[in-house]
Amino acid sequence: MFAKEMLRQSLPLLIFCGLGGVVAGSTLGVMANLLESIPGLIVIIPAIIALRGNISTTFGSRLGSAYHLGVIDAENMWNGELKQNIIGSLVLSFLVSITIGVLAYVTTIAFFDISPDPVKLIIIVLIAGVVSGVILTMLTIGIIFAVFKRGYDPDNITGPALATFGDIITMLSIFGSAMIVEVIL
Amino acid sequence: MIYSWKKIVRYGLPLLTLCVLIEMFAGQILQGGQNTLLKIPIFLISIPAINGVGGNIGSILGARLASGLHVGSITLDIKDKKMHENLLTSLLMGIITYAVLAILIYYVASFSGVTMGIGLIEFVFVLLAVGVLLVCVVSVASIFTAFISFKKGADPDDFVAPVVTTIGDTMGIIFLFLLIGAVGI
Repeated sequence: MFAKEMLRQSLPLLIFCGLGGVVAGSTLGVMANLLESIPGLIVIIPAIIALRGNISTTFGSRLGSAYHLGVIDAENMWNGELKQNIIGSLVLSFLVSITIGVLAYVTTIAFFDISPDPVKLIIIVLIAGVVSGVILTMLTIGIIFAVFKRGYDPDNITGPALATFGDIITMLSIFGSAMIVEVIL
Repeated sequence: MIYSWKKIVRYGLPLLTLCVLIEMFAGQILQGGQNTLLKIPIFLISIPAINGVGGNIGSILGARLASGLHVGSITLDIKDKKMHENLLTSLLMGIITYAVLAILIYYVASFSGVTMGIGLIEFVFVLLAVGVLLVCVVSVASIFTAFISFKKGADPDDFVAPVVTTIGDTMGIIFLFLLIGAVGI
């Protein structure tokens, strides 16, 4: 029965990803004071986690396909194809981060009687989005490289690994950038 | 050269913008309930895990349905037995994962000295109820997305994950606040 095999293969991975969520959530718990002092900060959190998840998993699955197509492999990783993928992911991170900051500001003044500082919000998302983008891009390349070396199929590994580490790295990036911006601005 | 960063940005931008726009609703619901979350931080800590697990279960189910449809072992029929089997297994995995994570989050929070304001049994009940509701919604969303995209001749693999994670993030937060209200905290 193939439901049993689904349970055996997916359940451990699911719980492992959930543990990543708990670590990310604990970071959010530590940020409680910042959430209170920066109105609008909590609004950007689901969006930036979703952005990171989307960009890094599509990056990972494109590299997986590139491997299957024979365009990149462990000996020939740093080529033009990889560079185009890296630039594409980072440009997307940059553009969508700014969009998130603007949308968070606009929807907050539309729905609530509070006025967040738009410059602060946009800078926080931008730093968090780009920093987590760079870290996760490097991490993805590292994971893909290790997977290539062992001859595994990247499609089975990168998705869950990025889902787990992605949330944690994104939350730490938001925490760090909110703290820096709060101190400087 | 098969990849170009301009193409990656051009194809990625519309879907990502739509996705962060919907995530804004999730963010605004969080902002509306921010006081509750700061008073009982264990719920704040739970959010990434709740959403992450819901999104993962929906994506796993979607990927399995997509493969089943491609191979022909699953038919485009709401009464398909194999699809029902997958659905029940998803629900079972959800119950186990949310129960394990609820107990874990409770002890992590109490060991790290967070103000609790809720008992273990009550907390496990809330998380399990949110989890079951969320798994039902993401599973239905996953089945519909997989079936409709397959029927239209598109590859379900391209659509299920973004649709399911976005719906999961928004609904997970709504269900959490509903349940917090229902147990009267």
